[in-house]
Amino acid sequence: MKRNSSKLYTLQQALYTLPIALALAVTSRPLLAECSICTNEPPKQILEMLIKQTDSDYLTQSPQNLIMMSENAAYFSAEEGEELFHEKRGPKKASLKSCDFGKGPGVLKGAYAEMPRYFADTDRVMDLESRLVHCMKTIQGFTNSDKAIKKRHGSGSDMMKLQTYIASQSNGYEWNPPLDHTLEKAMRDAGEVLFYRRAGMLDFSCNTCHGETGKRVRASVLPNMNRPEEWTKAISWPAVRVGQHNNRSSLHRVRGCYWQMRQGRIAKGSDALIALISFWTDAARDQPAILPDLKR
Amino acid sequence: MKNSMSIKTGLAALIAVLTVSCTSGYKKVSGKRANYTTMSSEELAEHLIFKDRGFKLNQKVQEGGTMRDRMKQDEIQKICSALKKRQVDSSTAQKVSTIAKNNMLYPKGSIRLGDWKKGRALVQNAFGFRVGHKTDKHSKRKPGGMCVNCHLLDSKMTIPSGNLGPSLRGYGKTRGQSEGVMKYTYEVIYNPHSVFPCTNMPRLGANGFINQEQIRDVMAYLLDPKSPINQ
Repeated sequence: MKRNSSKLYTLQQALYTLPIALALAVTSRPLLAECSICTNEPPKQILEMLIKQTDSDYLTQSPQNLIMMSENAAYFSAEEGEELFHEKRGPKKASLKSCDFGKGPGVLKGAYAEMPRYFADTDRVMDLESRLVHCMKTIQGFTNSDKAIKKRHGSGSDMMKLQTYIASQSNGYEWNPPLDHTLEKAMRDAGEVLFYRRAGMLDFSCNTCHGETGKRVRASVLPNMNRPEEWTKAISWPAVRVGQHNNRSSLHRVRGCYWQMRQGRIAKGSDALIALISFWTDAARDQPAILPDLKR
Repeated sequence: MKNSMSIKTGLAALIAVLTVSCTSGYKKVSGKRANYTTMSSEELAEHLIFKDRGFKLNQKVQEGGTMRDRMKQDEIQKICSALKKRQVDSSTAQKVSTIAKNNMLYPKGSIRLGDWKKGRALVQNAFGFRVGHKTDKHSKRKPGGMCVNCHLLDSKMTIPSGNLGPSLRGYGKTRGQSEGVMKYTYEVIYNPHSVFPCTNMPRLGANGFINQEQIRDVMAYLLDPKSPINQ
Protein backbone atom coordinates (compact mmCIF):
# COMPACT_ATOMS: atom_id res chain seq x y z
CA MET A 1 0.00 0.00 0.00
CA LYS A 2 1.58 3.22 -1.14
CA ARG A 3 -1.09 5.40 0.38
CA ASN A 4 1.22 8.22 1.43
CA SER A 5 3.56 8.26 -1.51
CA SER A 6 1.72 10.74 -3.73
CA LYS A 7 1.84 14.43 -2.99
CA LEU A 8 -1.56 14.79 -4.65
CA TYR A 9 -3.14 13.18 -1.66
CA THR A 10 -4.09 15.56 1.06
CA LEU A 11 -4.16 14.26 4.56
CA GLN A 12 -7.93 14.23 4.41
CA GLN A 13 -8.03 12.10 1.28
CA ALA A 14 -5.53 9.78 2.79
CA LEU A 15 -7.68 9.36 5.87
CA TYR A 16 -10.71 8.61 3.68
CA THR A 17 -8.93 5.92 1.71
CA LEU A 18 -7.14 4.28 4.59
CA PRO A 19 -10.08 2.25 5.95
CA ILE A 20 -11.07 1.21 2.42
CA ALA A 21 -7.56 0.08 1.65
CA LEU A 22 -7.41 -1.82 4.92
CA ALA A 23 -10.76 -3.44 4.24
CA LEU A 24 -9.56 -4.51 0.81
CA ALA A 25 -6.36 -5.87 2.25
CA VAL A 26 -8.28 -8.04 4.69
CA THR A 27 -11.05 -9.27 2.43
CA SER A 28 -9.53 -9.58 -1.00
CA ARG A 29 -5.87 -10.38 -1.14
CA PRO A 30 -5.63 -10.62 -4.96
CA LEU A 31 -6.62 -6.95 -5.35
CA LEU A 32 -3.39 -5.88 -3.76
CA ALA A 33 -0.50 -5.03 -5.98
CA GLU A 34 2.24 -7.51 -6.85
CA CYS A 35 4.26 -8.82 -3.99
CA SER A 36 1.33 -8.80 -1.63
CA ILE A 37 3.29 -10.95 0.77
CA CYS A 38 6.69 -9.31 0.37
CA THR A 39 6.09 -7.57 3.65
CA ASN A 40 8.00 -7.75 6.84
CA GLU A 41 5.87 -10.64 8.00
CA PRO A 42 8.01 -13.16 9.81
CA PRO A 43 8.24 -16.80 8.63
CA LYS A 44 5.71 -17.97 11.23
CA GLN A 45 3.01 -15.61 9.91
CA ILE A 46 3.72 -16.61 6.31
CA LEU A 47 3.30 -20.26 7.21
CA GLU A 48 0.08 -19.51 9.11
CA MET A 49 -1.25 -17.69 6.05
CA LEU A 50 -0.40 -20.66 3.81
CA ILE A 51 -2.09 -23.00 6.28
CA LYS A 52 -5.25 -20.89 6.10
CA GLN A 53 -5.20 -20.96 2.30
CA THR A 54 -4.40 -24.65 2.00
CA ASP A 55 -5.72 -27.78 3.59
CA SER A 56 -2.34 -29.45 3.92
CA ASP A 57 -1.28 -32.18 6.33
CA TYR A 58 2.30 -31.37 5.45
CA LEU A 59 2.07 -27.73 6.55
CA THR A 60 0.19 -28.55 9.76
CA GLN A 61 2.05 -31.69 10.79
CA SER A 62 3.83 -30.14 13.74
CA PRO A 63 1.96 -27.57 15.85
CA GLN A 64 4.93 -27.53 18.26
CA ASN A 65 7.28 -26.50 15.47
CA LEU A 66 4.89 -23.76 14.41
CA ILE A 67 5.01 -22.33 17.92
CA MET A 68 8.81 -22.62 18.00
CA MET A 69 9.24 -20.72 14.72
CA SER A 70 9.33 -17.32 16.39
CA GLU A 71 12.30 -18.49 18.43
CA ASN A 72 14.02 -20.31 15.60
CA ALA A 73 17.71 -20.87 16.34
CA ALA A 74 18.36 -20.06 12.68
CA TYR A 75 17.87 -16.36 13.55
CA PHE A 76 21.17 -16.57 15.43
CA SER A 77 22.80 -18.13 12.37
CA ALA A 78 21.48 -15.26 10.28
CA GLU A 79 22.87 -12.68 12.71
CA GLU A 80 26.27 -14.34 12.74
CA GLY A 81 26.09 -14.59 8.97
CA GLU A 82 25.44 -10.87 8.68
CA GLU A 83 28.60 -10.15 10.65
CA LEU A 84 30.61 -12.57 8.53
CA PHE A 85 29.19 -11.05 5.35
CA HIS A 86 30.43 -7.57 6.24
CA GLU A 87 33.70 -8.62 7.81
CA LYS A 88 36.90 -8.19 5.80
CA ARG A 89 38.07 -11.79 5.51
CA GLY A 90 40.28 -14.18 3.60
CA PRO A 91 43.72 -13.68 2.04
CA LYS A 92 42.37 -10.62 0.17
CA LYS A 93 40.89 -9.07 3.33
CA ALA A 94 37.62 -8.18 1.64
CA SER A 95 33.99 -8.29 2.66
CA LEU A 96 31.28 -9.87 0.53
CA LYS A 97 29.59 -6.52 -0.10
CA SER A 98 30.60 -6.57 -3.76
CA CYS A 99 29.24 -10.07 -4.36
CA ASP A 100 26.51 -10.12 -6.99
CA PHE A 101 23.75 -12.61 -6.28
CA GLY A 102 21.94 -11.67 -9.47
CA LYS A 103 20.41 -8.33 -8.59
CA GLY A 104 23.60 -6.31 -8.53
CA PRO A 105 26.65 -6.18 -6.23
CA GLY A 106 25.63 -6.34 -2.60
CA VAL A 107 21.89 -6.46 -3.32
CA LEU A 108 20.46 -9.19 -1.15
CA LYS A 109 16.77 -8.24 -0.87
CA GLY A 110 14.85 -10.90 -2.78
CA ALA A 111 17.99 -12.18 -4.52
CA TYR A 112 17.75 -15.75 -3.25
CA ALA A 113 14.09 -16.04 -4.32
CA GLU A 114 15.35 -15.52 -7.88
CA MET A 115 18.00 -18.21 -7.78
CA PRO A 116 19.28 -20.41 -9.35
CA ARG A 117 20.02 -18.07 -12.23
CA TYR A 118 22.53 -17.56 -15.05
CA PHE A 119 25.63 -15.51 -14.27
CA ALA A 120 27.51 -14.09 -17.23
CA ASP A 121 30.81 -13.81 -15.34
CA THR A 122 31.01 -17.56 -14.87
CA ASP A 123 28.81 -18.53 -17.81
CA ARG A 124 26.98 -20.89 -15.48
CA VAL A 125 23.64 -21.28 -13.78
CA MET A 126 24.40 -21.03 -10.07
CA ASP A 127 22.45 -21.60 -6.89
CA LEU A 128 22.99 -19.70 -3.65
CA GLU A 129 25.69 -22.01 -2.32
CA SER A 130 27.76 -22.19 -5.52
CA ARG A 131 27.49 -18.42 -6.00
CA LEU A 132 28.55 -17.76 -2.43
CA VAL A 133 31.55 -20.08 -2.82
CA HIS A 134 32.43 -18.33 -6.08
CA CYS A 135 32.44 -14.92 -4.34
CA MET A 136 34.43 -16.21 -1.37
CA LYS A 137 37.05 -17.48 -3.80
CA THR A 138 37.21 -14.58 -6.20
CA ILE A 139 36.60 -11.65 -3.83
CA GLN A 140 38.07 -12.94 -0.57
CA GLY A 141 40.68 -15.30 -1.97
CA PHE A 142 39.60 -18.43 -0.12
CA THR A 143 40.48 -21.76 -1.69
CA ASN A 144 38.77 -25.16 -1.57
CA SER A 145 41.03 -26.26 1.27
CA ASP A 146 39.97 -23.38 3.53
CA LYS A 147 37.52 -24.36 6.24
CA ALA A 148 35.33 -21.35 5.38
CA ILE A 149 34.46 -23.04 2.08
CA LYS A 150 35.20 -26.67 2.79
CA LYS A 151 32.83 -27.10 5.73
CA ARG A 152 29.32 -27.09 4.25
CA HIS A 153 27.23 -28.54 7.05
CA GLY A 154 26.28 -27.72 10.63
CA SER A 155 25.01 -24.60 12.38
CA GLY A 156 28.56 -23.65 13.31
CA SER A 157 29.86 -23.53 9.74
CA ASP A 158 30.53 -20.22 7.98
CA MET A 159 28.63 -21.56 4.96
CA MET A 160 25.43 -22.13 6.93
CA LYS A 161 25.66 -18.79 8.72
CA LEU A 162 26.22 -16.87 5.49
CA GLN A 163 23.57 -18.80 3.56
CA THR A 164 21.04 -18.23 6.34
CA TYR A 165 21.71 -14.50 6.38
CA ILE A 166 21.50 -14.11 2.61
CA ALA A 167 18.45 -16.37 2.26
CA SER A 168 16.63 -14.58 5.09
CA GLN A 169 16.74 -11.43 2.98
CA SER A 170 14.25 -13.19 0.70
CA ASN A 171 11.77 -14.06 3.41
CA GLY A 172 8.25 -13.42 2.13
CA TYR A 173 9.43 -12.93 -1.44
CA GLU A 174 7.74 -15.09 -4.01
CA TRP A 175 9.95 -17.70 -5.66
CA ASN A 176 10.70 -16.41 -9.11
CA PRO A 177 13.76 -18.06 -10.63
CA PRO A 178 14.40 -16.64 -14.11
CA LEU A 179 14.05 -18.95 -17.10
CA ASP A 180 14.94 -16.48 -19.83
CA HIS A 181 18.44 -17.69 -20.56
CA THR A 182 18.73 -20.92 -22.55
CA LEU A 183 21.01 -22.38 -19.86
CA GLU A 184 18.46 -21.62 -17.14
CA LYS A 185 15.82 -23.44 -19.15
CA ALA A 186 18.15 -26.35 -19.95
CA MET A 187 19.11 -26.79 -16.29
CA ARG A 188 15.51 -26.61 -15.08
CA ASP A 189 14.44 -29.21 -17.65
CA ALA A 190 17.34 -31.53 -16.81
CA GLY A 191 16.34 -31.11 -13.17
CA GLU A 192 12.86 -32.28 -14.05
CA VAL A 193 14.29 -35.42 -15.65
CA LEU A 194 16.40 -36.02 -12.54
CA PHE A 195 13.34 -35.55 -10.33
CA TYR A 196 11.47 -38.35 -12.11
CA ARG A 197 14.51 -40.54 -12.74
CA ARG A 198 14.09 -43.91 -11.07
CA ALA A 199 17.30 -45.77 -10.25
CA GLY A 200 19.10 -47.78 -7.61
CA MET A 201 18.09 -50.80 -5.56
CA LEU A 202 14.71 -49.37 -4.59
CA ASP A 203 13.74 -47.99 -8.03
CA PHE A 204 12.82 -44.71 -6.34
CA SER A 205 12.84 -41.20 -7.73
CA CYS A 206 12.08 -37.91 -5.97
CA ASN A 207 8.57 -38.30 -7.36
CA THR A 208 8.02 -41.55 -5.41
CA CYS A 209 7.63 -39.52 -2.23
CA HIS A 210 6.83 -36.04 -3.54
CA GLY A 211 4.20 -36.65 -6.23
CA GLU A 212 1.04 -36.80 -4.11
CA THR A 213 -0.47 -34.96 -1.16
CA GLY A 214 -0.88 -36.43 2.31
CA LYS A 215 1.61 -39.26 1.85
CA ARG A 216 3.83 -40.39 4.70
CA VAL A 217 7.05 -42.32 5.16
CA ARG A 218 6.49 -43.66 8.65
CA ALA A 219 5.30 -40.59 10.60
CA SER A 220 6.76 -37.95 8.26
CA VAL A 221 4.18 -36.19 6.12
CA LEU A 222 5.76 -35.56 2.73
CA PRO A 223 5.40 -32.37 0.68
CA ASN A 224 3.84 -32.64 -2.78
CA MET A 225 5.87 -31.02 -5.54
CA ASN A 226 2.66 -30.43 -7.55
CA ARG A 227 1.21 -28.23 -4.83
CA PRO A 228 3.16 -24.95 -4.70
CA GLU A 229 1.54 -23.81 -1.43
CA GLU A 230 3.07 -26.72 0.44
CA TRP A 231 6.12 -27.11 -1.79
CA THR A 232 7.34 -23.63 -0.88
CA LYS A 233 7.90 -24.77 2.69
CA ALA A 234 9.64 -27.91 1.46
CA ILE A 235 12.23 -25.90 -0.48
CA SER A 236 12.65 -23.11 2.07
CA TRP A 237 16.22 -23.77 3.17
CA PRO A 238 18.16 -22.97 5.30
CA ALA A 239 15.97 -24.37 8.01
CA VAL A 240 16.65 -25.75 11.44
CA ARG A 241 15.92 -29.47 11.51
CA VAL A 242 14.56 -29.89 15.02
CA GLY A 243 15.33 -33.62 15.05
CA GLN A 244 18.92 -32.93 14.03
CA HIS A 245 19.54 -29.88 16.26
CA ASN A 246 21.16 -28.23 13.27
CA ASN A 247 20.62 -25.62 10.64
CA ARG A 248 20.49 -27.29 7.22
CA SER A 249 20.88 -26.35 3.55
CA SER A 250 19.33 -27.41 0.23
CA LEU A 251 22.44 -29.51 -0.39
CA HIS A 252 21.87 -31.33 2.88
CA ARG A 253 18.24 -32.08 1.96
CA VAL A 254 19.11 -33.45 -1.49
CA ARG A 255 21.98 -35.50 -0.09
CA GLY A 256 19.67 -37.02 2.53
CA CYS A 257 16.97 -37.93 0.00
CA TYR A 258 19.42 -39.68 -2.35
CA TRP A 259 20.94 -41.51 0.60
CA GLN A 260 17.53 -42.81 1.68
CA MET A 261 16.76 -43.75 -1.93
CA ARG A 262 19.95 -45.85 -1.92
CA GLN A 263 21.34 -43.82 -4.79
CA GLY A 264 24.66 -41.97 -4.97
CA ARG A 265 25.98 -39.09 -2.94
CA ILE A 266 25.30 -35.84 -4.79
CA ALA A 267 28.43 -33.72 -5.24
CA LYS A 268 28.43 -30.28 -3.61
CA GLY A 269 28.26 -27.45 -6.12
CA SER A 270 27.58 -29.87 -8.97
CA ASP A 271 25.40 -28.99 -11.93
CA ALA A 272 23.27 -32.06 -11.13
CA LEU A 273 22.43 -30.45 -7.79
CA ILE A 274 21.84 -27.02 -9.32
CA ALA A 275 19.60 -28.53 -12.03
CA LEU A 276 17.49 -30.25 -9.39
CA ILE A 277 17.26 -27.06 -7.33
CA SER A 278 16.28 -25.13 -10.49
CA PHE A 279 13.40 -27.51 -11.04
CA TRP A 280 12.22 -27.57 -7.45
CA THR A 281 12.33 -23.78 -7.14
CA ASP A 282 10.35 -23.41 -10.36
CA ALA A 283 7.74 -25.75 -8.85
CA ALA A 284 7.23 -23.32 -5.94
CA ARG A 285 6.93 -20.31 -8.22
CA ASP A 286 4.75 -17.41 -6.98
CA GLN A 287 4.57 -18.76 -3.45
CA PRO A 288 6.25 -16.87 -0.60
CA ALA A 289 9.56 -18.16 0.74
CA ILE A 290 9.65 -19.01 4.45
CA LEU A 291 13.13 -18.02 5.56
CA PRO A 292 14.62 -19.13 7.76
CA ASP A 293 12.35 -22.11 8.26
CA LEU A 294 12.04 -24.69 11.00
CA LYS A 295 11.39 -28.28 10.05
CA ARG A 296 10.83 -31.55 11.91
CA MET B 1 70.02 -19.82 -20.12
CA LYS B 2 67.72 -18.76 -22.90
CA ASN B 3 66.33 -22.28 -23.12
CA SER B 4 65.59 -22.57 -19.43
CA MET B 5 63.86 -19.18 -19.52
CA SER B 6 61.58 -20.22 -22.32
CA ILE B 7 60.81 -23.48 -20.53
CA LYS B 8 59.94 -21.48 -17.43
CA THR B 9 57.77 -19.09 -19.44
CA GLY B 10 56.11 -22.01 -21.15
CA LEU B 11 55.44 -23.72 -17.83
CA ALA B 12 54.02 -20.53 -16.37
CA ALA B 13 51.77 -20.13 -19.40
CA LEU B 14 50.64 -23.74 -19.11
CA ILE B 15 49.89 -23.35 -15.41
CA ALA B 16 47.99 -20.15 -16.16
CA VAL B 17 45.92 -21.91 -18.82
CA LEU B 18 45.21 -24.84 -16.51
CA THR B 19 44.24 -22.53 -13.65
CA VAL B 20 41.88 -20.53 -15.82
CA SER B 21 40.25 -23.59 -17.29
CA CYS B 22 39.80 -25.13 -13.85
CA THR B 23 38.42 -22.12 -12.03
CA SER B 24 36.22 -20.43 -14.60
CA GLY B 25 33.36 -22.85 -14.13
CA TYR B 26 33.60 -24.13 -17.67
CA LYS B 27 32.62 -27.71 -18.00
CA LYS B 28 35.19 -29.57 -20.03
CA VAL B 29 34.54 -32.94 -21.54
CA SER B 30 37.52 -34.48 -23.27
CA GLY B 31 38.98 -31.05 -23.91
CA LYS B 32 35.80 -29.48 -25.19
CA ARG B 33 33.17 -27.67 -23.20
CA ALA B 34 29.91 -29.58 -23.14
CA ASN B 35 27.14 -27.54 -24.64
CA TYR B 36 24.13 -28.03 -22.41
CA THR B 37 21.79 -26.26 -24.78
CA THR B 38 22.28 -28.64 -27.69
CA MET B 39 21.40 -31.70 -25.60
CA SER B 40 17.92 -33.00 -24.91
CA SER B 41 16.97 -32.71 -21.23
CA GLU B 42 17.35 -36.50 -20.92
CA GLU B 43 20.84 -36.36 -22.42
CA LEU B 44 21.79 -33.48 -20.16
CA ALA B 45 20.54 -35.32 -17.06
CA GLU B 46 22.66 -38.37 -17.96
CA HIS B 47 25.61 -36.09 -18.69
CA LEU B 48 25.29 -34.38 -15.30
CA ILE B 49 25.23 -37.71 -13.47
CA PHE B 50 27.92 -39.64 -15.32
CA LYS B 51 30.22 -37.21 -17.15
CA ASP B 52 29.99 -34.08 -15.01
CA ARG B 53 30.51 -36.05 -11.78
CA GLY B 54 27.29 -34.90 -10.20
CA PHE B 55 27.36 -37.93 -7.95
CA LYS B 56 30.16 -39.83 -6.24
CA LEU B 57 30.11 -42.78 -8.60
CA ASN B 58 33.21 -44.60 -7.41
CA GLN B 59 31.96 -45.40 -3.93
CA LYS B 60 31.74 -49.15 -3.32
CA VAL B 61 28.27 -50.57 -2.76
CA GLN B 62 27.25 -53.44 -0.48
CA GLU B 63 26.10 -55.77 -3.27
CA GLY B 64 29.50 -55.45 -5.01
CA GLY B 65 30.67 -53.04 -7.67
CA THR B 66 30.33 -49.27 -7.39
CA MET B 67 27.63 -46.64 -7.20
CA ARG B 68 28.02 -46.13 -10.94
CA ASP B 69 26.27 -49.48 -11.46
CA ARG B 70 23.35 -48.47 -9.24
CA MET B 71 22.87 -45.12 -10.93
CA LYS B 72 22.56 -46.76 -14.36
CA GLN B 73 18.94 -47.43 -15.18
CA ASP B 74 17.61 -50.80 -16.30
CA GLU B 75 14.78 -51.08 -18.82
CA ILE B 76 11.90 -50.97 -16.32
CA GLN B 77 13.38 -47.93 -14.58
CA LYS B 78 13.84 -46.15 -17.90
CA ILE B 79 10.33 -46.83 -19.19
CA CYS B 80 8.62 -45.93 -15.91
CA SER B 81 10.72 -42.75 -15.40
CA ALA B 82 9.69 -41.48 -18.83
CA LEU B 83 6.04 -41.41 -17.70
CA LYS B 84 6.89 -38.61 -15.25
CA LYS B 85 3.55 -37.91 -13.53
CA ARG B 86 1.35 -39.63 -16.10
CA GLN B 87 -0.63 -42.75 -15.31
CA VAL B 88 0.73 -45.81 -17.03
CA ASP B 89 -1.05 -46.48 -20.36
CA SER B 90 -2.04 -49.98 -21.44
CA SER B 91 0.73 -50.60 -23.97
CA THR B 92 3.45 -49.43 -21.56
CA ALA B 93 1.85 -51.51 -18.81
CA GLN B 94 1.90 -54.56 -21.07
CA LYS B 95 5.54 -54.00 -21.97
CA VAL B 96 6.69 -53.53 -18.36
CA SER B 97 4.76 -56.47 -16.92
CA THR B 98 6.12 -58.71 -19.70
CA ILE B 99 9.71 -57.73 -18.85
CA ALA B 100 8.99 -58.35 -15.17
CA LYS B 101 7.37 -61.75 -15.79
CA ASN B 102 10.17 -62.87 -18.09
CA ASN B 103 12.71 -62.16 -15.36
CA MET B 104 10.73 -63.68 -12.51
CA LEU B 105 12.64 -66.27 -10.50
CA TYR B 106 10.63 -68.71 -8.42
CA PRO B 107 11.98 -70.74 -5.50
CA LYS B 108 12.96 -74.34 -6.17
CA GLY B 109 9.98 -76.58 -5.51
CA SER B 110 6.80 -75.02 -4.15
CA ILE B 111 6.39 -71.62 -2.55
CA ARG B 112 6.42 -72.14 1.22
CA LEU B 113 5.87 -69.93 4.22
CA GLY B 114 8.75 -69.26 6.63
CA ASP B 115 8.71 -67.91 10.18
CA TRP B 116 6.28 -65.02 10.78
CA LYS B 117 8.28 -63.82 13.79
CA LYS B 118 11.38 -63.38 11.68
CA GLY B 119 9.20 -61.82 9.03
CA ARG B 120 7.80 -59.35 11.53
CA ALA B 121 11.33 -58.24 12.43
CA LEU B 122 12.14 -57.87 8.75
CA VAL B 123 9.15 -55.70 7.84
CA GLN B 124 10.12 -53.23 10.58
CA ASN B 125 13.78 -53.10 9.64
CA ALA B 126 14.62 -50.26 7.26
CA PHE B 127 18.38 -50.65 7.54
CA GLY B 128 20.64 -51.51 4.67
CA PHE B 129 22.24 -50.57 1.37
CA ARG B 130 22.65 -46.86 2.09
CA VAL B 131 25.91 -45.44 0.77
CA GLY B 132 27.26 -41.92 0.89
CA HIS B 133 28.17 -39.59 3.76
CA LYS B 134 27.40 -42.61 5.97
CA THR B 135 27.43 -46.19 4.79
CA ASP B 136 25.36 -49.08 6.18
CA LYS B 137 27.69 -51.82 7.38
CA HIS B 138 25.94 -55.12 6.76
CA SER B 139 28.52 -56.91 8.90
CA LYS B 140 27.13 -55.05 11.91
CA ARG B 141 23.45 -55.32 11.11
CA LYS B 142 21.49 -57.26 8.48
CA PRO B 143 19.38 -55.27 6.03
CA GLY B 144 15.60 -55.52 6.26
CA GLY B 145 12.52 -55.28 4.06
CA MET B 146 11.50 -51.76 5.19
CA CYS B 147 7.78 -52.50 4.57
CA VAL B 148 6.58 -50.38 7.53
CA ASN B 149 7.93 -47.23 5.90
CA CYS B 150 5.04 -47.38 3.42
CA HIS B 151 2.41 -49.92 4.62
CA LEU B 152 0.07 -50.11 7.58
CA LEU B 153 0.90 -53.42 9.28
CA ASP B 154 -0.25 -55.10 12.53
CA SER B 155 -1.89 -53.04 15.26
CA LYS B 156 0.65 -54.04 17.91
CA MET B 157 3.49 -52.40 16.05
CA THR B 158 4.97 -49.44 17.90
CA ILE B 159 6.75 -47.93 14.88
CA PRO B 160 4.43 -45.52 13.06
CA SER B 161 3.64 -46.77 9.57
CA GLY B 162 3.71 -44.87 6.30
CA ASN B 163 0.93 -44.73 3.73
CA LEU B 164 2.72 -44.59 0.37
CA GLY B 165 1.49 -48.13 -0.16
CA PRO B 166 -1.87 -49.71 0.70
CA SER B 167 -2.74 -51.04 4.17
CA LEU B 168 -1.75 -54.68 4.64
CA ARG B 169 -3.62 -55.19 7.91
CA GLY B 170 -5.54 -58.45 7.77
CA TYR B 171 -3.79 -59.39 4.51
CA GLY B 172 -3.98 -63.16 5.04
CA LYS B 173 -7.31 -63.12 6.83
CA THR B 174 -9.14 -61.89 3.75
CA ARG B 175 -7.14 -63.87 1.20
CA GLY B 176 -6.44 -67.27 2.76
CA GLN B 177 -3.48 -69.42 1.75
CA SER B 178 -4.42 -70.95 -1.59
CA GLU B 179 -1.74 -71.71 -4.17
CA GLY B 180 -2.89 -68.70 -6.18
CA VAL B 181 -2.59 -66.33 -3.21
CA MET B 182 0.85 -67.71 -2.37
CA LYS B 183 2.09 -67.24 -5.95
CA TYR B 184 0.58 -63.75 -6.23
CA THR B 185 2.11 -62.64 -2.91
CA TYR B 186 5.50 -64.00 -3.90
CA GLU B 187 5.37 -62.20 -7.25
CA VAL B 188 4.41 -58.87 -5.68
CA ILE B 189 7.32 -59.07 -3.23
CA TYR B 190 9.83 -60.38 -5.79
CA ASN B 191 8.87 -58.04 -8.62
CA PRO B 192 5.63 -56.06 -8.24
CA HIS B 193 5.85 -54.71 -11.80
CA SER B 194 4.65 -58.12 -12.97
CA VAL B 195 1.26 -57.33 -11.42
CA PHE B 196 1.33 -53.52 -11.06
CA PRO B 197 3.45 -52.13 -13.92
CA CYS B 198 5.38 -48.99 -12.97
CA THR B 199 4.30 -49.25 -9.34
CA ASN B 200 6.22 -47.21 -6.74
CA MET B 201 6.98 -50.41 -4.82
CA PRO B 202 10.59 -51.63 -4.97
CA ARG B 203 11.53 -54.97 -6.53
CA LEU B 204 12.76 -56.33 -3.23
CA GLY B 205 13.51 -59.81 -4.60
CA ALA B 206 14.62 -59.02 -8.13
CA ASN B 207 16.90 -56.20 -6.97
CA GLY B 208 18.49 -58.40 -4.31
CA PHE B 209 17.31 -56.38 -1.34
CA ILE B 210 16.06 -59.48 0.45
CA ASN B 211 16.80 -63.15 -0.29
CA GLN B 212 14.52 -66.16 -0.80
CA GLU B 213 14.52 -67.16 2.86
CA GLN B 214 13.59 -63.62 3.88
CA ILE B 215 10.78 -63.53 1.31
CA ARG B 216 9.37 -66.73 2.89
CA ASP B 217 9.50 -65.08 6.32
CA VAL B 218 7.79 -61.90 5.11
CA MET B 219 5.13 -64.03 3.39
CA ALA B 220 4.57 -65.90 6.68
CA TYR B 221 4.10 -62.58 8.45
CA LEU B 222 1.47 -61.64 5.84
CA LEU B 223 -0.32 -65.00 5.46
CA ASP B 224 0.12 -67.07 8.63
CA PRO B 225 -3.14 -67.01 10.64
CA LYS B 226 -1.05 -66.76 13.85
CA SER B 227 0.70 -63.59 12.64
CA PRO B 228 -0.47 -60.44 14.47
CA ILE B 229 -1.32 -58.85 11.11
CA ASN B 230 -4.19 -61.38 10.84
CA GLN B 231 -5.37 -61.18 14.42
